[in-house]
Amino acid sequence: MITTRRLTKRYGAKAAVRELDLEIPRGQFFCFLGPNGAGKTTTIKMLTGLARPTSGTVAIGGHDMAGEPLAAKRLLGFVPDHPFLYDRLTGRELMRFVAGIYRMTEDDLAARCEPLLAAFDVLHAADQLIQDYSHGMRQKLSFASCFLHDPQVVVVDEPWVGLDPKSIHKVKTYLKERTREGLTVFMSTHSLAIAEETADRVGIIHEGRLRHLGTVAEIKALARRPGSLEEVFLELTREAEEALVDA
Amino acid sequence: MPDGELVAVAAVGGRPAPGRRLSPLAAMLWAKGRVARHSLALVRRESRLKVAFVSVSALLLWIGIFVFALLGLRLFETFGAEVLGEGALTVSDLVVARMLSVFALALFVMLVFSNVLVAFATLYRSREVPFLVLAPVTRSSFFLGRFYECVAFSSWASAFLGSPILLAYGLTTRAPLLFYPMLAAFYVPFVVIPAAIGAVVAMALVRYLAGARRGPLVGFGLLALALLFSYFRGKLRSPDLADTATIQAIVDVMGRTQSPYLPSHWLARGVLSAATGEAGDALFYFLLLAANALLLLWLAAQAAEAWFFTGWSALADGGETRRRGRGRGPFGALDVVLRVLPQPTRALMAKDFRLFWRDPAQWAQFVLFFGIMALYVANLGEARSFARHGTWGAWATLLNLAACMLILASLTSRFVYPLVSLEGPRIWMLGLAPVGMRRIVWQKLWLSVGSTSVFTVSLAVLSALRLDLDGTSFGISLVAIVGATVALSGLAVGLGSLYPNFREDNPSRIVSGMGGTLNFILSMVYIVLVTLALAAVLLWNDGLARVLGDRGQAMAAAAAFIVVLTALACWLPMRLGLRNLERVEF
Repeated sequence: MITTRRLTKRYGAKAAVRELDLEIPRGQFFCFLGPNGAGKTTTIKMLTGLARPTSGTVAIGGHDMAGEPLAAKRLLGFVPDHPFLYDRLTGRELMRFVAGIYRMTEDDLAARCEPLLAAFDVLHAADQLIQDYSHGMRQKLSFASCFLHDPQVVVVDEPWVGLDPKSIHKVKTYLKERTREGLTVFMSTHSLAIAEETADRVGIIHEGRLRHLGTVAEIKALARRPGSLEEVFLELTREAEEALVDA
Repeated sequence: MPDGELVAVAAVGGRPAPGRRLSPLAAMLWAKGRVARHSLALVRRESRLKVAFVSVSALLLWIGIFVFALLGLRLFETFGAEVLGEGALTVSDLVVARMLSVFALALFVMLVFSNVLVAFATLYRSREVPFLVLAPVTRSSFFLGRFYECVAFSSWASAFLGSPILLAYGLTTRAPLLFYPMLAAFYVPFVVIPAAIGAVVAMALVRYLAGARRGPLVGFGLLALALLFSYFRGKLRSPDLADTATIQAIVDVMGRTQSPYLPSHWLARGVLSAATGEAGDALFYFLLLAANALLLLWLAAQAAEAWFFTGWSALADGGETRRRGRGRGPFGALDVVLRVLPQPTRALMAKDFRLFWRDPAQWAQFVLFFGIMALYVANLGEARSFARHGTWGAWATLLNLAACMLILASLTSRFVYPLVSLEGPRIWMLGLAPVGMRRIVWQKLWLSVGSTSVFTVSLAVLSALRLDLDGTSFGISLVAIVGATVALSGLAVGLGSLYPNFREDNPSRIVSGMGGTLNFILSMVYIVLVTLALAAVLLWNDGLARVLGDRGQAMAAAAAFIVVLTALACWLPMRLGLRNLERVEF
């Protein structure tokens, strides 16, 4: 569902992402890991069409993001780490607005709006202005609006900021259940415990290059001694840094 | 809001049909309508005194313009007839049509400039843009959804200030009832044309200049302004009115604004035709405006398809790549200058200067202000011969001072008032620091006084030189403008602290709120009161001396009034603003 070919983004002389090749099939929960400044957010911007690749391609559901952006975006949902929401709309009004820009029908809106607001625990505040929401409430509303148009691919950038443990559990379970129904999830996170728990496959990016790709078990097997994904991640990124210094 | 109401209000374009697919453009417009409605409802959370003061002041301003325009136009109607008898040509017959053309052309040029800036802020800088870019919405739909906001932002003020003048014109000429709805009909396509031009210019500039170095860009902008200025100055230069003050000379100059290719001329002709009941002509000019507005809107939408995303990406890329050398360039020099200040004032000053310079919407507007100032000073030479004649000299001093203070009020309202609000979500950083709100607010005041006085004092000196004012008038002008700089800066910083808007990042929107409006109105009140006091000194000192018994006493009374007013205008809002900020919880 998500395909990148030699995806590269340069800012002047600095390459933020270099020749990234990824193939994420339908129904897979993919976690994208990397230290700060590794290129995760730049990759997400290119996957979602928010930034233009310097070279290489992105395809969502077989639709090239540069050639057929509207077809690709119809299949896509995105939850950023700090979502923009219209402060002076109510939660329900925001859902209606999102339905409009995704060209949904009135029937679909009526059928999906309330269950999603309920699923993410924001139904009780649906008629309040978003400016009165807490950060966690905004995040949950952002999830609800992301799923409104029934996307086939969801890109999530560090979604746990501001969520309480119960909400984290709920969102995690929801995402996992939806992947079983065929949804593809691309999640960038620093929470390695959650990645270990949810991911079908993990990619580790460092200095703009994809260093490791595989299932959690395969990634763990790369380490010199067995440990949690966190320990393995620290070891692998340290090795990558040392290799860079040597080079 | 109950569900039923949601469905009812959400039916963009009629009753919702269950199987009907919603339209992205309609959804964007609907959402903005709801935002506007909620924003109006939120006015109830504002202080009642502030709402009442702003509403009454706005109403009084509108009525004042209406009465002034009505009296002026009636004077024009009767002026010739009194001298030459009934049936003779009046000043109105000769001048009003041309005045309308001048008014419409000036408005048109201002709208084009302001729309370039508004379009940049609305299409590229608004926080909702990435959200909309992410959605499967065509670039042209995105553009049209944002375009109406450009039109609304850029044209509401001209509608507010122009409507009483045109209403007065309709009443003076005893226009038919159809004239009044026609005015509204003419206005819509008229403001769409500069908005579309401004949007195309903004998109072209971003597409081809994003990422370019700023220094040459500003130089190029100033050069373009200078060339534009010299072109129009050559076109519109009038003879020396003091020597050959003839109606014919004025008429000729005004006539040069009546090109049949200018939309402003179509508006003026249309309004005149509607006023005289020539429905066919009025309809022709309306259709001419509407057809051109639609064509330009279509072209702008095509430009958005071609240029928007590339420009937007380039703008985002440019922001991330530029490396800013430490201690080098203009900011390196600024850091050296600021070393005379103690910390943390120095750090606060350095931050404010850097943030200002790195926000294109801010410095681009500042360049425009600079252009207006240059235009004003350059044109003063035409009035020099007036200033040499006795009473006219006092009038020239007074009007020049009022103009300088108006420019100052525009600067403080637009750039100083939002300073505290622009700390926005970062205010916690200052709130946590061992600095204290008092120091922060006073730093904003000194920043404002220091930076605006460079311009206002230069303006006062240059304009005095251009008008060839005598020493006394020059001295009075200089002292008055320094006083006004302190007073209006204090007013803007104080009210900006009293009514901060920490949710908004766009300074134009901060300024257009209730607090910003209140600041502008109070600035106008200050200018009117100071001008009246100076008029008492410069023009009516004999009369004042008769009331107070002595010329020296009269001068002292006027000076004391100005000093007290200035101190009050600065101190009171600063005190109230500071008290409010000290109560803010983070």
